[in-house]
Amino acid sequence: MADTRIPHQPLKLLDNKTEHKFALPAKCIHDGEDVSFFLTTKAYSDIMTFLFQLNASMFPRKATQEDSVSQTVEAWKLNDPRVPLSPITLKLSQLLEKLASFIDEVPPDTGPRRFGNVSFRKWYELVKERLPALMDEYLPAEILALGGGDSEGTSAKTELEAYLYGSFGSSQRLDYGTGHELSFLAFLGCLWKLGAFPRTESGVEERGIVLGVIEPYLQLVRRLILTYTLEPAGSHGVWGLDDHSFLPYIFGSAQLSPAIRAPADIPAEGSLPNAPNPPDVAKADVVGRERKTNMYFNAIGFIYDVKRGPFWEHSPILFDISGVKAGWAKINKGMLKMYNAEVLSKFPVVQHFPFGSLFAWEKDPAALAINASVHTTSQPTRQTTVTQSRSAPLRDAMQEGMRAPWAGAPTWSTAGTAAPWATTRAQLPVPDGPNQPTRAPWVSATAVPPPASGNATAAPWARSGRKPPRKPPA
Amino acid sequence: MSIGGSDLDQAILQLRACRPIPESQVRELCYKARELLIEEGNVVGVDAPVTICGDIHGQFHDLMELFRVGGDVPDTNYLFMGDFVDRGFYSLESFLLLLCLKVRYPDRITLIRGNHESRQITTVYGFYDECLRKYGSANVWRYCCEVFDYLALGALVSGAATTLEPSDAPFADLNSQASMPGLDQEIEIETLNASGEVMFRFARNSEQSSSAAEPSQNPSSSPLPTPARTGAPGTGASSSSYGSMGSSTGAVLCVHGGLSPLIDTIDKIRLLDRKQEVPHEGAMCDLLWSDPDEIDGWGLSPRGAGFLFGADIVKCFNYKNDLSLIARAHQLVMEGFKEMFDSTIVTVWSAPNYCYRCGNVAAILELGEDGGNGGFVSRANGDVNRAQVLGEKVQGREGPGRRYRVFDAAPQDSRGMPAKKPVADYFL
Repeated sequence: MADTRIPHQPLKLLDNKTEHKFALPAKCIHDGEDVSFFLTTKAYSDIMTFLFQLNASMFPRKATQEDSVSQTVEAWKLNDPRVPLSPITLKLSQLLEKLASFIDEVPPDTGPRRFGNVSFRKWYELVKERLPALMDEYLPAEILALGGGDSEGTSAKTELEAYLYGSFGSSQRLDYGTGHELSFLAFLGCLWKLGAFPRTESGVEERGIVLGVIEPYLQLVRRLILTYTLEPAGSHGVWGLDDHSFLPYIFGSAQLSPAIRAPADIPAEGSLPNAPNPPDVAKADVVGRERKTNMYFNAIGFIYDVKRGPFWEHSPILFDISGVKAGWAKINKGMLKMYNAEVLSKFPVVQHFPFGSLFAWEKDPAALAINASVHTTSQPTRQTTVTQSRSAPLRDAMQEGMRAPWAGAPTWSTAGTAAPWATTRAQLPVPDGPNQPTRAPWVSATAVPPPASGNATAAPWARSGRKPPRKPPA
Repeated sequence: MSIGGSDLDQAILQLRACRPIPESQVRELCYKARELLIEEGNVVGVDAPVTICGDIHGQFHDLMELFRVGGDVPDTNYLFMGDFVDRGFYSLESFLLLLCLKVRYPDRITLIRGNHESRQITTVYGFYDECLRKYGSANVWRYCCEVFDYLALGALVSGAATTLEPSDAPFADLNSQASMPGLDQEIEIETLNASGEVMFRFARNSEQSSSAAEPSQNPSSSPLPTPARTGAPGTGASSSSYGSMGSSTGAVLCVHGGLSPLIDTIDKIRLLDRKQEVPHEGAMCDLLWSDPDEIDGWGLSPRGAGFLFGADIVKCFNYKNDLSLIARAHQLVMEGFKEMFDSTIVTVWSAPNYCYRCGNVAAILELGEDGGNGGFVSRANGDVNRAQVLGEKVQGREGPGRRYRVFDAAPQDSRGMPAKKPVADYFL
């Protein structure tokens, strides 16, 4: 798990790019057992490696000066001019700007609605239609063309597009959540593996990725959420960390942690001197100030923008975390553990993640044997039938966090309830987003007609293939 | 300890103050509640007058606002259509208070099951975590889930009046008064705000209507095909509501989600074995999970459970079962309520500013008692639209008079901050 195998090495580049066989990413997680397997795959290791790599880059750095006595500490802020942006990160941020500009072309529908705005579907249509050309315009041609030499082969572009296209929410459900956010992280991870980013020392390029690409991505997502009133995918109401996002809490807590020399000495406790105090998240004025420079506070600021009511009541998890006494490094470590358990280990979230050649559905020989934890074992299996009352599952709070054992991510539901057993009903290979009404947790993949709007609970157990009868039986 | 008499009143007082009661008391309460609920049929018979409420989702302070607006128990009879728990911060206090009231005034309050009243769903959507946090163990969650298994699946309201006695309340917007139907007309729908002022009044079988809430509403500006007649907010001005059709009023079926392709008569609901966890499919599941939609027949639900059902399904069901209306909850509606399919079905939503962010208002639906107006025969006024929709054959029963009270989220000033911040294991 997160704290037992923290990699300090950056994500490995593809050995032989030119010979590599790319693949159209496809859904592989169909039930709870698949989630257990996922945690042993190369894809999982690569996601965690890349996440740790980006995270480490956001820790302030200390350096000994040439006089070998005096030390300097450097910390980085949002919009920090001292963070150099490589040509590729600049291009990516321009690509995101371009996607944001489509919002102006598709104003929200003023007609009757329940919650999510149907114009989001039009925005997504534009993205679908224009994405191939935009990728050609903003991404290096030599990378996109990899693997596309003969007409039979899948190109790198195809594989990249699947993750990028899945990064902005579900047009079907009119929602957005951590599953979509994960898709964007994977998109960047693919580019990394393909060598699209220059190799640099001391996390310089990674910092550019976080501050120059991920933060603008989060800004775009927030604009989409506000414009089209996207629901939180798989919302747990007040009992989730955040309705939509997770990554800014990881990177933002790293920004406020003690300075390090190298990723290997990331401390388990402590804060950067002069960092705001964790309890300050409940103070609107401090949040208003700190959100300009810090990703954690910027995410909290967005909650203040959209929610009314006492912070401790509408965001009790974040409020509780603000009581952590051991500083931002402790919070950062906890966030990584929580991401592992609540996003990557949750069926409702990761069920939508598609696997290709770069994030591969293959066992990682280095993976530790994962003992089936309660939350993985109690996820839905292919033959799930819950008919009798069952006794409360014994759960390990640490493992379980706030979601149902079979429930995947906290990410995919919106204001509506989805059945926890519900699995993907999205058109593969595009990963579906986290924004849905309550849905059945047991739901599995099926092509489903677009709902009139989001905001419903989905069934966690929902699965594919139910055919509605044409008329009631006599 | 035993919970009865004064203990029960004490528990009600404590819960009204939003303070959880001790675990031993919860256990006793749940035991009592199960004894009571086991005697109820799958479809509880309820007499008008009654006030019908939709989803609560642990929004305790808004539930208090609901009681302020709708009247207190036992002065007002209530029917709650489920989804008491999950997502909100106070699922525990909200559900236990409603359960206490049920045990204390069993004939004054009816609770039916929503899709969130389930072990599987509460472990995903918050109630489990809330219990763990507030009691340090899952015992209370387990007691509550045992009660969930005994909640009825639906209710059938009979004896509702076809016509509203217009309230003598002032108008929210005096300018709109002139355009409201006069008091000499049969009032079918009235919408009041939280201060009890009339926002809107709608006469039966009449095109004359007006909305104080949306005076500028203009069908021609709508991008969607709009019926020629404009209705009250929530009555589907922009959907398909023309006010109800038909003659004398039938009963009102209340269910959390909607209909099931496996259920064509209410008697079939009565035959289900309900005392179990909500199954993933089948009739019981559908009743708690389905949604009406602008489709023909049945469709797959994006929720992964239950189905979507169209106007034809509702009209046939209502006709066959002599219903004038189906009241259901389950879906957020920005205006608090929404009538669909010529007012044959209404969604009632009672969680204002849902999840602290949706910006919606909430509503409750009051059905009045038929005060000797049972012989009311509707006038044929030659409105050509009215009989067209499904033809004479499936013409439904005339809807009951419906008074909607719309309210906002409760003010938040008086809520103190908790002293303790229990830290999740990830951060230890």
